[in-house]
Amino acid sequence: MALKKFTRRDFLKVAAIAPVATAVGCCCTTPKAAPAVIPSGGTAKITSLARKSRVVLVRDAQAVGEGRKINTEVVRKMLDDAVTTLLGEKDPVAAWKQLVGPADIVGIKTNVWNYLPTGPELEQAIRSRIQDAGVPADKISVKDRDVLKDPIFQAATVLINVRPARVHYWSGMGGCIKNYIMFVPNPPAYHGDACADLAKIWSLPPVKDRTRLNILSMLTPQYHNIGPRGFSEQYLWPYGGLIVGRDVVAVDATGYSVIQAKRLQVFGEDKPLETSAHHIQLAETRHQLGKSNPDDIELVKLGWEDGRLI
Amino acid sequence: MADSQNAEAARYLALIPVEARGWKADGADQVFDRETIFEYIDGAGEVYRAFNMNILVSRRFKKAGQADVIVDLFDMGSSADAFGVFAHDLDGEKRSLGQECLYKAGLLQFWRGRFFASIFAESENPETEAVLADLGRTISAATGPDGPRPDLVDLIPEEFRGGQIRYFHDPQILNYHFYIASENVLGLGPEAAGVLATVGVKAEKRSYLLVRYKSETAAETARSGFVRGYLPETRTVETAGERTEGLLRLKDGRFAAAGRSGVFILVVFGAPTPAEAQTARDRSLAALARGGGAARTESVFGNGR
Repeated sequence: MALKKFTRRDFLKVAAIAPVATAVGCCCTTPKAAPAVIPSGGTAKITSLARKSRVVLVRDAQAVGEGRKINTEVVRKMLDDAVTTLLGEKDPVAAWKQLVGPADIVGIKTNVWNYLPTGPELEQAIRSRIQDAGVPADKISVKDRDVLKDPIFQAATVLINVRPARVHYWSGMGGCIKNYIMFVPNPPAYHGDACADLAKIWSLPPVKDRTRLNILSMLTPQYHNIGPRGFSEQYLWPYGGLIVGRDVVAVDATGYSVIQAKRLQVFGEDKPLETSAHHIQLAETRHQLGKSNPDDIELVKLGWEDGRLI
Repeated sequence: MADSQNAEAARYLALIPVEARGWKADGADQVFDRETIFEYIDGAGEVYRAFNMNILVSRRFKKAGQADVIVDLFDMGSSADAFGVFAHDLDGEKRSLGQECLYKAGLLQFWRGRFFASIFAESENPETEAVLADLGRTISAATGPDGPRPDLVDLIPEEFRGGQIRYFHDPQILNYHFYIASENVLGLGPEAAGVLATVGVKAEKRSYLLVRYKSETAAETARSGFVRGYLPETRTVETAGERTEGLLRLKDGRFAAAGRSGVFILVVFGAPTPAEAQTARDRSLAALARGGGAARTESVFGNGR
């Protein structure tokens, strides 16, 4: 399938005036024939990944409580549902065994931004399943800013990428592609043109070909910025979701479409991000890292439907 | 950090009160320079670096039962750059503090002289809004005297002065407000300075871009870069069967006109007719020439396109 040709200017124009569905990197918004839960078949792999990138969006109304308190057990179940659906397994341990094994050394690249960190509930849920899949506890590390110095990450055979979704003053959106910026010694080197080439990081030795899963936390995403500090409580909302996929570009594109839909709902107009998140589309068109075009993404939606927005 | 910077930081921290309306300074003050700013505010630190920030001092305030308040006081090195960083975000309600001040959603920002202040409440309510105002008044009084806005602002034509005015050195800052190109076709950087003035909205929106370079050579290099790099799919306008230099039909059907005068490049965007675009451009070129922008004046598109 030919990639959609999309210039930078087209991206801005479409994001400004077109329905969310046509914004670059937006997931499918038309109803899909795919069932809510993919029937599993033992160890059968999902063959649709060869043509489309499967992404699972799972939501639960009980995931986020008062004061942004995260329900640990609900998040565990959401993660299990997403990963089993993604990989076509009934059992979550069997699903995780497709990703990791006893001989692996696993780095969980999280995000510790103090206003909206990944959070221990989701981190622990991931770590637990990795251990259930046979990886010894002392071969697992959960880190953000110190990944280059961490011996587990230095020796890692597998990376699991997890962070919350939020708008970002300089890159448009902080998602799973951007989460790897801590793997370079000089992050500002990737700030040019609104962080257009973040995807390059994914071809560098510390991370190349090691990522088995991307998890974009949409539990309480942030949909708007005020000022460079980039945080305001009033612009979070309890979406209660996780977006999970093997294709990091497809995961971020889906998250981006949710954020754009929320902005449309709140502002009453398709208000462009303060900075374009064109690094998502460029991750596909310039760096061939994954798929941002909705035609190339198979989105499976699970759980809570109210307020899904896409 | 050098001893001189440490001394500066100490002086600036002394400009920030330690208590206001029951909020008290809590924890260690923080100091950042243009290299360490990313440790504090992530990639958004590039905004302040783009305006030549010197140093940032930060103090957190706490009050039981209330959201924390954070004061960030930037020494931008010049009042022009303090104006520039303030003007980068003009969203909010005007308040009477500093030389210009805006408030929105728990964030109070103002500039005065070489300083830019950002006072932020982690959650907004009437009490936090009041303490932000108190802190702002105290800091504004301490950071005087006032300083001049960038001199380029005075060169903006009258018809563009009623709208939003931005100041910049960095191409990404310009792109943020008015997208030109992913490459730095205007040759912007620390040795260039520009203003962007925008009036009207939607179909009535018009913009005026003026950039000053260090030399005519630099301006000429930027001129040719702009010619090659901006909207290559546009076409020069033909009037009376002849191509009109420096005049472009934009994709939305409106017109832009560009010119160079000495060390300046200017572009007028969004005129409804070619004549209006040319008139705005020519009037501005003449004013620049009179104002000492150098005698040689020509259309940006000297060879036509």
